[in-house]
Order: sequence, then C-alpha cells, then structure tokens
Amino acid sequence: MSPSYLAQDPTLADFGRDPWWLVLIKIVFAFAFGLLATLLGVWFERRVVGYMQVRPGPNQVGPFGLLQTLADGLKMAFKEDILPKAADKVVYFFAPTISVICAVTALSVVPFGPMVSIFGHHTPLQVTDVPVAVLVLLACSSMGVYGIVLGGWASGSTYPLLGGLRSSAQMISYEVAMGLSIVAVFMTAGTMSTSGIVAQQGHGTELTIFGNSIPAPGWYAILLLPSFIIFFISTVGETNRAPFDLPEAESELVAGFMTEYSSLKFALFMLSEYVAMVTMSAVTTTLFLGGWRAPWPITIWEGANSGWWPMLWFFGKVIALVFVFVWLRGTLPRLRYDQFMRFGWKVLLPINLVWILVLSGLRSIEDWDSRGKLIAVGIPAGILLVATLFWPNRRPQPKPTTQEQVDNRPYGSFPLPPMDLQVPPSPRITRVVAEREPANIATGSDSREV
Amino acid sequence: MTTSTVLAAAGDVSGGEEITFWILAPLALIGAIGMVAARNAVHSALWLVLTMLCLGVFYVLQAGPFIGMVQIIVYTGAIMMLFLFVLMLVGRDASDSLIETLRGQRVAAIVLGLGFAGLVGGALYRAMDGTTAVGLEQANAEGNVQGIARLLFTKYVFAFELTSALLITAAVGAMVLAHIERRKQDKVDQPSTMRARFAPGNYPGPKPGPGVFATSSSVATPARLPDGRLTERSTPDILPVRELTAQETSLKGTDQ
Amino acid sequence: MSLSPYAPIIGLFALAAAFSLFSVGAARFAGPHRYNKAKLEAYECGIEPSPQPVGGGRFPIKFYLTAMLFIVFDIEIIFLYPWAVSFDALPIFGFVEMVLFIVAVFVAYAYVWRRGGLDWD
Repeated sequence: MSPSYLAQDPTLADFGRDPWWLVLIKIVFAFAFGLLATLLGVWFERRVVGYMQVRPGPNQVGPFGLLQTLADGLKMAFKEDILPKAADKVVYFFAPTISVICAVTALSVVPFGPMVSIFGHHTPLQVTDVPVAVLVLLACSSMGVYGIVLGGWASGSTYPLLGGLRSSAQMISYEVAMGLSIVAVFMTAGTMSTSGIVAQQGHGTELTIFGNSIPAPGWYAILLLPSFIIFFISTVGETNRAPFDLPEAESELVAGFMTEYSSLKFALFMLSEYVAMVTMSAVTTTLFLGGWRAPWPITIWEGANSGWWPMLWFFGKVIALVFVFVWLRGTLPRLRYDQFMRFGWKVLLPINLVWILVLSGLRSIEDWDSRGKLIAVGIPAGILLVATLFWPNRRPQPKPTTQEQVDNRPYGSFPLPPMDLQVPPSPRITRVVAEREPANIATGSDSREV
Repeated sequence: MTTSTVLAAAGDVSGGEEITFWILAPLALIGAIGMVAARNAVHSALWLVLTMLCLGVFYVLQAGPFIGMVQIIVYTGAIMMLFLFVLMLVGRDASDSLIETLRGQRVAAIVLGLGFAGLVGGALYRAMDGTTAVGLEQANAEGNVQGIARLLFTKYVFAFELTSALLITAAVGAMVLAHIERRKQDKVDQPSTMRARFAPGNYPGPKPGPGVFATSSSVATPARLPDGRLTERSTPDILPVRELTAQETSLKGTDQ
Repeated sequence: MSLSPYAPIIGLFALAAAFSLFSVGAARFAGPHRYNKAKLEAYECGIEPSPQPVGGGRFPIKFYLTAMLFIVFDIEIIFLYPWAVSFDALPIFGFVEMVLFIVAVFVAYAYVWRRGGLDWD
C-alpha cells in the first residue's frame, strides 16, 4: 500500500474543519441524494420487477419512464388530504415527518468518497463523521420506529393500529440482530467512525493460522461473512421490505400503518421507506463492502481510489444492493408473522451471539504460540463434540397409520371414502378415445401414433 | 483528533455549544412540563421523548458522545417504545381525569415543586460557581469510547457483571407478568383444527357472510338465514351484536 | 470559524424537518376538499366500520414481552460496543468477563425460549 493511497483516507481530524458554506453544500447534496434516490429508486424497482415478471413496467413518462415517480409525486400533492374523524390530529400530522427525518438524517454519516478538493478546500466527501458515527445510524433507525407506530396509532382505525404494532415489533426484533452483527465490525476495525471503518477495509490483513500467513481481503463482507449475511437480512427486516413487508401485508392489513394516509403525507411515508432502503444499502456498503473503495479488478489502475472516482464505485455498490432488495421482492413470497419472528429471535440472534464469542475468542488467542492455540481451540471443540454425541434425543412416538386415525374417529363424523380407493377411469374418457379416428398424418417411418 | 476539538469546547463554553444549549434547554423543559400537563397518556409519553432527545444532545455537547447516543438509542428508542406499548395496552383513549381528589392539592404541588426546583438550582449554582472543570482531557485522552471501555471493563467490572443480573431479572419478570403459559399439547395445530372442523356436530362449511340476506354491510350486523332468522355465526366473537337503526340503514348521500 | 463535526448532523436533521413539515403543511392547501362523511370514517375495505370496543382498541400483551426482551438485548449490545471497539487494548480478562456477561444474558434468553415466550401464533 503506497502512502499516497492512505493520504486519500480521511481521518476524524479532517472533519469539523469545513467552512459553513461547504457544510451547507454537503448537507444539501446529501438531502438531494436521498430525494433523487427515491425518485429513481421507485422507477428502478418498478422496471426491474417488471422485467422479472415479463412486462415492461412504467415506460411512458419521460425517457424510459424515468419521470414516472415525479409525475406520481406531483399527482399526490394535488390529492385530497383526508383527516379521519377518529384520528389524533397532532400526532397524525407529525408521524410522517418523523419517518422522513430519521431516514434522511442517517445519510449524514455515510462516506461517499475520499478526500477531494472543492473550491480549493481539501475536504472529505462525507457530510460529517464523528467517533460514534455508527451509533448515529442506529439512533436514527431506532427513532424511525416512532413514525410508524405513531402513524398507526394516530389514525384511529383498526388496520393501521395492527400494522403499526406489527411493524414496531418487527423493527425492534431485527434491530437487535442488526446491532449484534455490527459488533464484529467494530471488533475488527477498532473504531465506530464510518470513515475509519472504510479506511480499515482498505488494506488486506494478514491472517496467521497455524504459522502460515494468508493474505486476507480487506472487505468485511468476506472477512466477517456471517455478520454480513445477518446484517443484510436484518436491514431487509428493518426497512419493512419484501419478504418481510408484514406491516403492509395487503392481503391481511390493507396497507398497514399507512391505510388512512393520503396525499403528501402518504408520499412522505413512501419517501422515507425508499430513503431508508437506499440508506441501508449505503450503510451495508460502508460497513461490509469496502465503502467507496474500488472493487478488485479496478484497483489495478492506480488512481481508482482517489479524486472523485470513488463516488462512482460507491454508487455502483449501492445500486447493486438496491437491486438485491428488488430481486428479493420479485422472488420471495411474504413470510408468515410467526415464522418471521421466530427467524429473528431464534435463528439470527443465537447465531450472532455465538459468532461474536467465537470471533473474539479467536482474536484473543491470535498472539499465542501454536500449542496454546491448539489447546484453546481444541478443548471447546471437544466439549462441543462430546455434547452433541451424548445429547439425549427424544425417541419419536410411533405415528398412527392413516387407517388407525380413520378408525378412531367418533361416530357420525364427516364421511370419508375408503383409504385404498382406486379411482376408476372416467367413462367419458374412454368414449372420447373410442370415437376418435386415428390421425392420418403421413405414411412413413417417422409417423407416430397420437 | 476531533474528540480534542470537541473536548476543547468543554473547558471554555464555545459559541456553538451555548447556542445549542439555549435552544434545547427550553425545549427540554417544555417537554418535561408537557409530559406532566398532557391529558392523553400517549401525548405525555411523546413529550418525554422530546426531553430525552434533548438530554441526549446535551451529553454530546458535553463531550460524552457515546453516552449521548446511548441515551437516544436506549432511552428514546427502547424504553419509550416499551412505555408506548404499555400505554396502548391500557387503551387508546385513556385520558386523565382532572378532578382534584384533595382540595388545593394542585396549587400546593406547584408551589412545592417550584420551591424545590429553586432550592436545588440555588444550591447547585452556589456550589458550582467559580469552579473550573478539570480532568476531561485526561478522561477522553484515548477517545471517549475507549475511555469508557477501559473503566467499565477494569475498575467497574463488578457493576458491569451485576448489570447482567438486572437484565435477567427484567426478562424473567416480563415473562412472569406477561406470558400466558401454554403447554405443548394445548397448542392447536392445523390437523387438529381440521379434525375439529369435521367432527360430528360441527358444520364444516363457511360461515354465512353479511350481505346476501342482510340489511347492512357492517360486520357487526348478523346475517339473515333464508328463513328470516338472524344468525350469530356471521359476526366475529369480539363484536357486540347490534341491529342497525333506521338512520344507519338509510342512504348516506355518497352516491350523488 | 469551523463548525463542530456534530453540527452537520443537526443541519441535515433541520433540513429534513423543514422539508417534511412543509410537505405535510402544503398537503392541506394543495389538494381539493370535498366533504363526505363516509370518507372520514375509518377504512375497513368498504364495509361500515365496526364499532370500536369500549375503552379503545387494546392489543395483545405479547408485544410487551417482545419490547422487554428488546430492551434487554439493546442494553447488552450497548455494553458490547465499547468492548468490541477497544478489544485489542483490553487484556484477556476483558474477553472472559464479556463471556460471563453474554452467558448470563443468554440464560435469561434460554429461559424465555424454553417457556415459549418467543413463540407467536
């Protein structure tokens, strides 16, 4: 790694030095990014889902239908703003704004690129970074629950209340999984600042396993694969996206917490959902996919990680992740609520805890000699092996056969056909076959009976 | 280090800190007063969220970014969510009654409260006036989070481990209070539902919907059987059965 | 004068707040207002709204348990963060005490699991 590379990495000391107008430019940029990402994200999703379902998707408004979302948004602004009779007026009014604010504020600590020069100022391409940047993200997502639960509560209607409650239970459940999967990142990076985490992923670490040093890639997605998988799954749950879109399960809850919302208030909820999706993709990119760093084949080119180019790689990664979100929606059916909660609490959580313990254990014996390592790894592994071998398993009860179950039914039950019933061929089929003339196609060796 | 730039503000109050404080301090107070004064329980909880949020920002201002963020995540996020849930358990429109059970109690409470606030404020002011804070730089020398970790996992390790006992108590307490024990054999799975449905004496067909023979489309109105009787089977158990009034069955004027 | 690194977070917060409050406010004036009694009722798929139960809608106590468990784990996570960040600086003792802590919380978790507190039906 040449020193010129590292000079591109902003450190915490580079933040908080911008003049106010530069801060303003960055803030407006981040905000515009959120809005534009929504405009294009909705279009992107509809087009991609369209192609997956063999239909064109929106293609009328503007080139390739790009302006479809803008048209929809404008239309929504001129729709009637309904305030339901039973609604709690103030809370109903504020709920969508809470959602939007929380989704947008999270963008403030996402690094878009390395140090660049803007109007002569050497400054990082990131709105700001603080020593607890990732906690800012978590705070935003935990506050974001309020928008949904309050929107559902304030509507004064049954479906929204149920949707809001479900949604908040879901979001808090998956927030636990998400928070736990970041622990591994903190442990490896040794910092909580987003720019620091990106910088740490820049240089591949040398893993020494039993004396052999293996160069490991820097991306935490590869280094900490279980964390990455769990984190991505829980971001899908956290953003209420399919297959975890239970708050809006239209087959059960109409539209969940936003059933009673119309006009721009509804548009704000939509906006916050898409901004949250893009933000979560950006955060996943930052924490696990090397942030703005160029992926491997491009890094052969020297200038890949300097100047304004990294922004391109960053957007590329974010778009790829958004595509995965859309892909999931186009592929997977919605989970049932109990399956969903079971998955979060009984699968993701314990795996996460065990993985953290294993990782920290491995890291703490990193400097030991190989014999110490062998003992430290061998004893827990041995205990685990013995435990699995001698774990008392319950003897399965013999299942009654179908005939026994049928015989055990009380008198007067719904009549059942005999279990060994042979369905006789329908008389109509034989008649059709009998009346049909043999097809006279051609005479030859390749003619087949039909 | 940026922490040092933040920390530099701690010794002498910088302009930004002062502005933020004077904006947020009244907000925090308004939140606290609103929390007490709000009649609706959920509104009251929301006012408290505002106060908690302001307190979180205060921590960050005073060079404790970690504890500030934790305040927002744990208090504002988690605890308030629990609080809201509990309030919703009580019912959606639970409001306080404003009847004084003891006469003059409200005035006395306000006077005593103001007096107490004055006493505490005055004492604090007298005690802190003229003193300069020291030691913040040393405490945050290696970074705020690292400093907390060093203290928490060495000096205060017993307190830390005892927290786990507290957490166990919380989880078990919630279990005991809120969990409805259901044994495995009591759980109704799909095959047993089907068996019960086709058991003798039960009509396995779908329940009659309101609409065909009913006078109203409300789910709370029982359907009419072909012989003219009302059937209870068409209304959900939780809804009270009711007959619609003439006004309710009349046209709503929505079809103009 | 340079700003504190925390200021831009507040700035973005304020910008988002201004935008969303403006939108919500504008919605009251931009759209038409055609009064209709049925429109202001709670939406229940076209049928007349069912009468709300007395005392407002209550909901299952199940959610309380989920929220409580969430708090327990949230606090555990908050303790895990500083530990993870300064993992390399802590002695091996730090690892041992965190194992004890996680195992202790795991006992509560296992108890809740065993009693069926994590089952939804």
